[in-house]
Amino acid sequence: MLFLQLLLQGLQTGALYALTAAGFALIFGATRIFHFAHGATFAIAGYVFLYFWNAGQPWPGALAAIAAAVVFGLGMERFVYRPIQRHEGSFFTVFVAAFGVAVVVQNLIGMIAGRGFASVDTPLSMANEVLPDVFLAPIFWIAIAVAIVLFVALSAFLTRTHAGVGLRALAQNPDLLRAYGLSSNRLSMLAFALGSAMAAPAAILTAMTTGLNEAVGHHVMLISMAATIVGGVGSLRGAALAGLMLGVAESVALQFVDTQWAEGVSFLVLFAFIIFRPSGIFGVAQTR
Amino acid sequence: MSGPQIARRALLGTALAAPFAHPSLAQATDPYVIGTLFPMSGPNAEYGTLFTNGAALAIEHARADNMLRRPMRIQAEDTQALPQQGVIGMTKLVNVDKAHYVLVGFTAVSKAVAPVADRAKTIAVNGGAVGPDLSGLSPYFWNVIPLAHLETQAFIPFLMGRNLKRIALVYVDDPLGDAILGLLRTELPKAGGELVGSFSVPRTAQQFGPVAARVRQSRPDAVYIASFGAQQAQIIKGMRDNGIRVPLVGYSALSIPTVTAMPEAEGVIFTSQKFDYTGGSEVTRRFATDFKAKYGSDPGTYNANYYNAVRLFALLAKELEAEGAEVNGENLRRTLLRVREFDLVGGKATFDDKGDMSAEIQVNEIRGGRVVPIA
Repeated sequence: MLFLQLLLQGLQTGALYALTAAGFALIFGATRIFHFAHGATFAIAGYVFLYFWNAGQPWPGALAAIAAAVVFGLGMERFVYRPIQRHEGSFFTVFVAAFGVAVVVQNLIGMIAGRGFASVDTPLSMANEVLPDVFLAPIFWIAIAVAIVLFVALSAFLTRTHAGVGLRALAQNPDLLRAYGLSSNRLSMLAFALGSAMAAPAAILTAMTTGLNEAVGHHVMLISMAATIVGGVGSLRGAALAGLMLGVAESVALQFVDTQWAEGVSFLVLFAFIIFRPSGIFGVAQTR
Repeated sequence: MSGPQIARRALLGTALAAPFAHPSLAQATDPYVIGTLFPMSGPNAEYGTLFTNGAALAIEHARADNMLRRPMRIQAEDTQALPQQGVIGMTKLVNVDKAHYVLVGFTAVSKAVAPVADRAKTIAVNGGAVGPDLSGLSPYFWNVIPLAHLETQAFIPFLMGRNLKRIALVYVDDPLGDAILGLLRTELPKAGGELVGSFSVPRTAQQFGPVAARVRQSRPDAVYIASFGAQQAQIIKGMRDNGIRVPLVGYSALSIPTVTAMPEAEGVIFTSQKFDYTGGSEVTRRFATDFKAKYGSDPGTYNANYYNAVRLFALLAKELEAEGAEVNGENLRRTLLRVREFDLVGGKATFDDKGDMSAEIQVNEIRGGRVVPIA
């Protein structure tokens, strides 16, 4: 029964990782911008939801969280990354800028919302015994359902709409995109809007389950990066699957190893992929 | 070149050189630098604010009472509760800021900075960490908080008395967590209890559902939480959300406002040092009244400890000023060992040869968002 319990908890955690990682992968895949401030997007969305929840407005809070995530993502694209790229800034310049913004956001959250732990008090996160020694909270089903619905919707958007196809083309050949009359700037903004919006549901569910603190974004970024590499750089479904896999791995591992190693297992998976399949699950091997 | 020009230059040169020619003139009005090595960002930043609030109030009181000839000022360095950052901060405080006295918290940070304090002969005072091996780290490292072995010595008989004999421990993988593990492992069997499981978690861990599953398997009577900051709050929520219904217990780190305000923390039992803010000494009542007036909330253990740490400096420096002796680490230590007993928040405090303050321990329970002493 312990294995089943750990598997179920791993699926719940993995669903949240998948949502966050998919947002990061979408942005990175389409724009090749290493958006390190994606963790800050997550933290902003979580705290905005928390503010509305405490004011007794959960549904407007969910919408406000998504809106805040999108506005922040677009702001980063328009006012941070685009000026750097205009001056042909290097990958490292982009990374340092994003890292700096993430630190500023962390400190602003601490100043505005307080530096302690914060969470949403809801019966949805309270587990009940569904089988002998197996506890499950209603939020498990919500996390799984939200992840499935969003991935199906996003996949449909990317494959069946003009803008979605344009996003995929942006990653492969921006110059050719312009020849077809599409604006790479607009598509880049779309990628940031969609990718940032994906972080909001995960942030809301995290506020209900593990809770938030001003530094929550760093952990989110670690998982997102790991999932993007394991899934295959540029592959949305790869990042989502890898996020789910990392969540399950770090939970199920406790059947076999000490609790100390839970997070280490995620990174062992990462190392294994880097060594044995550097292109990731769905990545395409590059030849030089 | 005319005479008046030479005179003006000479005057200007003399004025500029005066502070260097007579450093005592400059030093006479320079403030005493109270360095702080607290986490001011990251998941443990809440402690930094609590620690600083207590220290700042003590400085205000010392100034109001004209205790010292020179003012005191705080020079803050952010450790993020990490030992590496602590050593960097301590090195800067002693070498660049010429700190007279340094306040430090967290076991790992304290252990890291103690050798620097020792080499620089600068007093470092801990008011927040409880690792038992913080005692006697250096003649220049003092504790104004009872350490974990004193908390567990008082707590284990209480747990046995409540028939909470099978204890599972969830502990952070750092010197504090390891110290609590060692104490429970040796002390519980002596009292008729049993450590039925010990579950180490990394400092960065945030998911505690799977840990709760492992804890549940050990069938404990109570779960002892040995972590701090945002993580201990996450552990409490993780345990309660995932079906752990037995009492959650722990040590003084649980006394922070975000933990006491959590609905999931209702009924959590923990030890801390004993403070009676309503009765007690004039120093204690003044601290409690002014703290509430300044910060809008009742003071907690950490506020009082760091108030005491700064008040201790003011009392020692006052003695040294009266002697005409320099306020430095060696003289502060000499005076501490000579005077020994000080009027601090909580009553008369006595220091031993190692620089550890003795204090009584009380057992508290979180009830309705408040900390209520129960034993």
